[in-house]
Amino acid sequence: MTEKPERVLEKIRNSILNFDVEGVKSASLEAMSAGITAGRIIEAMGEAMGLVGKKYEAGEYFVPELIMAGETMKEGLGVLKPYMGDEPQGTLGTAVVATVLGDLHDIGKNIFITLLNAAGFKVVDLGVDVPAGKIVDAARISDAAIIGLSALLTTNLDQIPLVIEELERAGLRKKVKVIVGGATVTEAFAKEIGVDGYAKEAVTGVEICKKWVKQS
Amino acid sequence: MAVLESKEPQRVVWWPRIRHWYDVNNCANTLPKRYGGLYLDEVYKDLDATPREVWIGGLFGGGEYAGEIALATREGSDVEVWVKPAKGLYNGTSGDFTVTRYVTPVGEMRQVARRTEEGTSSYPVEHFLKDQESIGVYKYVLEHREYEFDWQRYRWGEKRYGDQIYPKAAIEREPILRLVIGMMGLNRTVIWLWKHPQEMEGLMELMLQDLEKQIEAYAGTPVVELCMPSNTHESLCSPSQFRKYMIPHLQRIADKAHATGKYLSSHWDGFVKSLLPLLKETELDGLECVTPKPQGDLTLEEMKKYIIDEGKFLRDGMPAVLFTKHHTVKELETFTRQILDTLGGSGRLQLGVSDMVPANADIERVRLVGKIIEEWNEGRFG
Repeated sequence: MTEKPERVLEKIRNSILNFDVEGVKSASLEAMSAGITAGRIIEAMGEAMGLVGKKYEAGEYFVPELIMAGETMKEGLGVLKPYMGDEPQGTLGTAVVATVLGDLHDIGKNIFITLLNAAGFKVVDLGVDVPAGKIVDAARISDAAIIGLSALLTTNLDQIPLVIEELERAGLRKKVKVIVGGATVTEAFAKEIGVDGYAKEAVTGVEICKKWVKQS
Repeated sequence: MAVLESKEPQRVVWWPRIRHWYDVNNCANTLPKRYGGLYLDEVYKDLDATPREVWIGGLFGGGEYAGEIALATREGSDVEVWVKPAKGLYNGTSGDFTVTRYVTPVGEMRQVARRTEEGTSSYPVEHFLKDQESIGVYKYVLEHREYEFDWQRYRWGEKRYGDQIYPKAAIEREPILRLVIGMMGLNRTVIWLWKHPQEMEGLMELMLQDLEKQIEAYAGTPVVELCMPSNTHESLCSPSQFRKYMIPHLQRIADKAHATGKYLSSHWDGFVKSLLPLLKETELDGLECVTPKPQGDLTLEEMKKYIIDEGKFLRDGMPAVLFTKHHTVKELETFTRQILDTLGGSGRLQLGVSDMVPANADIERVRLVGKIIEEWNEGRFG
């Protein structure tokens, strides 16, 4: 990549890190004019969200800052929409995404959904505090290939195996891949309960989903 | 009282909140046999602990006192409030809900609250404030709302508990936390504060004036301490927001409370490690419910440094989780002695449970802590 495109992408990343809505919009337009693809711009936004996550882990940013960064990215994506004609939503299939029952946190889930949409998935967003049965029903009705689950509270982690059980009961376990994330979810826990994928960050989660689509 | 007044250190008081434990187990019929048919204050007596928030509105709307005297609230004459229970599905989730609708000349606003499984508490699943219109309605409600001290409730409580506790009362949360937790939700509050600062600052000014009206209603009453049920947590109010909104707002509220002759405290029951160093700038007299490790994110030394050494008092401090089977009795005993040794000699500690005795607690552990405190008091103060 030449110096200018990299500089423009850096502007996008910095705008998200500084919650600069106007900055992210103008830098995104500038990037498009410089010939950078929408996919690469979205990737840069995802990288910025990764940095935001690191600042959160370091105690430099807190949940309100995560919300503002997520919102800044959403505004940037809005600018890109008209240029994403060659990447229509839904071409990669359908994903059902929810925060599990008893948990009202939705920031991570919303970032994941934004990135899934941008990558070309059709997303059924069930919101927060969603019971296992409802998640599986939605997957069946929408013919989804992926279920994404988020949990921020340790007290609600036991909802995730319930979704797996419900999928098995509905005869959908082989057809639907399940990916989990959220502050309290760990890779060890994901392995233990037998889900198909785990992602610490939304960007990684989307990459895993894209890989599954390619393999199918 | 000596704790509030920062007098010569006296005996540490054991003042845990056990109402939640009692309500849930009473409803589920799982109270220990010996407590069958007893009222909460009788349970307190049996445990030899000082009663706290015994009624606080009562599970089914009884009278209240025991340190939490509510104000009578009077809405404007052209403000109608409609409340109805609803059972079934809301937004695809089943449960018991309460729908509250405010009807005013400038429009309507609505909240849906979901009752918890035990039915003893509730939380909003649809907030009152969603858009410009509902904010306008809330402003109208605040402008026309009045408060009055409820002497009848106070007299009832004074008769029952007047010789055991000093009158402590609640006022609303600070504006930003009132928005985040009660009125608007976290996401929407953060985004509106960020994108519509003028509108939100206007709203918060009215909320501050509303708090001042509440404090004024306590003027000339026997109430000694006003406590804000803030539920402060760094995920709900980050350090930068704390500096921008909480500090100036708390300074103003504290000035008003002090001018009225009341102590002012706030309930910080979340992770507050990044916020605690800012406490000294708030002019609060004390904190309630600050939670040390292993449940919260603070050490006892940090609590001493940022609360006690800054001249503030602390109510509570025993992590609730130590009262459950997840921790051994030995751990509970060790922690109790540690907190007494670290903070108890200051004369600025009212020991209680942070946040409250959990529903699945072993209630005998409450009695055990009381005994340890008694022994410690004997050793320290004779």
